[in-house]
Amino acid sequence: MTDKNSVLERLSRRDAQRLEKLQKAHKAREDIDPTNEKEDYFTDAFKLKSDYVDSLLSQIPTLETTALSGHFDIIKKEINEMHKYIVTSSLFLKEYNMRKSLSIVQDLQNKCYELEEKYVPRKRFGFSKKKLAKPEEQKSSVMDEIDSIEKKYASKWDEKLFGFDNKENEVLLLDKEDLFQRDVSLRHLKNCTVFLKGAMGTLHITDLENCLVLSGPVMTSVFVERCLNSKLVVACQQLRMHTSSNCDIYLHVTCKGIIEDCTNIRTAPYSLHYEELDKHYELSALDRSINHWDTLDDFNWLAPNVPSPNWSILDKTKRVTDWEEHKTKIPS
Amino acid sequence: MGFLTMLKKLRQKEKEMRILMLGLDNAGKTTILKRFNGEPIDTISPTLGFNIKTLEHKGYKLNIWDVGGQKSLRSYWKNYFESTDGVAWVVDSADARRLAACAHELHALLREERLASATLLVFANKSDLPGALTLQEIREALDLDSIKSHHWRVVRCSAVTGENLLEGMDWMLDDIASRIFALD
Repeated sequence: MTDKNSVLERLSRRDAQRLEKLQKAHKAREDIDPTNEKEDYFTDAFKLKSDYVDSLLSQIPTLETTALSGHFDIIKKEINEMHKYIVTSSLFLKEYNMRKSLSIVQDLQNKCYELEEKYVPRKRFGFSKKKLAKPEEQKSSVMDEIDSIEKKYASKWDEKLFGFDNKENEVLLLDKEDLFQRDVSLRHLKNCTVFLKGAMGTLHITDLENCLVLSGPVMTSVFVERCLNSKLVVACQQLRMHTSSNCDIYLHVTCKGIIEDCTNIRTAPYSLHYEELDKHYELSALDRSINHWDTLDDFNWLAPNVPSPNWSILDKTKRVTDWEEHKTKIPS
Repeated sequence: MGFLTMLKKLRQKEKEMRILMLGLDNAGKTTILKRFNGEPIDTISPTLGFNIKTLEHKGYKLNIWDVGGQKSLRSYWKNYFESTDGVAWVVDSADARRLAACAHELHALLREERLASATLLVFANKSDLPGALTLQEIREALDLDSIKSHHWRVVRCSAVTGENLLEGMDWMLDDIASRIFALD
């Protein structure tokens, strides 16, 4: 019996020793695991860096104005370095640590920008000064700021606009020499008939109501936005139509027409005729034998096999086949 | 050799880069991609979804993603951000009306965390058209000079004539390469 006990005792002691050894080996392996080591190393190095940047930031209020811009450059460079360090370490960092580090960098950056805004007033874009600056504008929210910038730009780029803008109850005509390769705009028109007699580069049609647009071949795309109750007669490579409703499009499109946020759009084949049309087709390089007027893609209707309810083919009996008498009078 | 180094080495061996082409609709993203790939450009339809092309250039394997720019597709852009090395932002230089919207989308994109380390190339496309804005005007309108978070460059180009496409792309590849392949 004593023999058996001593054997059991020896065995269990051996087992404990074996387990201990295993644990040690396991721990040793963990210790030399490069991933682990690097993550610790990263945390330490990152902490050092962020403390350093923090100290740089805290020095700002005590510095001379002349030294500030250089100081900010150093800070931005350091922050950038930190960011780079995170990104290059992303392969071994745990998601949580990565996010934490990134948010630290973000905080430092925000702090840096705040201080820069406070101590180094920066100039905004130069041409904004020319406009009438309203003092209360400064207090408005960020969104308003974007809006006002958009408005400033809009008026600036208006000078570049080629076409017609802000017309009502008129018959408008542009001829071929002016049009060739141009980017033509029709904007804010009401009860107007527009005849674009020529080949042009692009046609932009925005904010039209109850209008008729008769257009020669467009080399690239026709871009339509916010059109109501209008008839468009266009030939182009692509048609892109947005936020419009109740429009009839007499279309020649060699690639594809698309609609987005549109309702009640009807299509028919292009039916405009005028004397130099053949020549203009040649200039535009559009292929007259290909016309996909009857297959529009609706970006709001992605179900295959079910046709989009937003557009349909205009009934043959309701199509206008001769535009001659429409060319010279305003739409009824 | 750590895990990181191993992965770097692997990637370096293949010299693979992921490039994302974004911009408003009708900017010419697909046209640039097709031009770059030597495909015909006169039969391009507005992109419903995305195109992807893998091509070899300067010894790099490029995965170029061209994602549709229609308003309804822009909310899906974020799904393509993961591990992007470079963003090619395409602008229609002749479309002055929508530059404000273009600037807004671009700056929103640059705030995206997952694109934090990507190189930005702005293609001022359609510069061959009469009435196209100058490079300086594009720079101003997009407020490019305020971009401090990314390496960026703007080039005037034309997808139709092919002008400057390679120059722009080469700059972006060099910039990406110096960042991701130089570390050893």
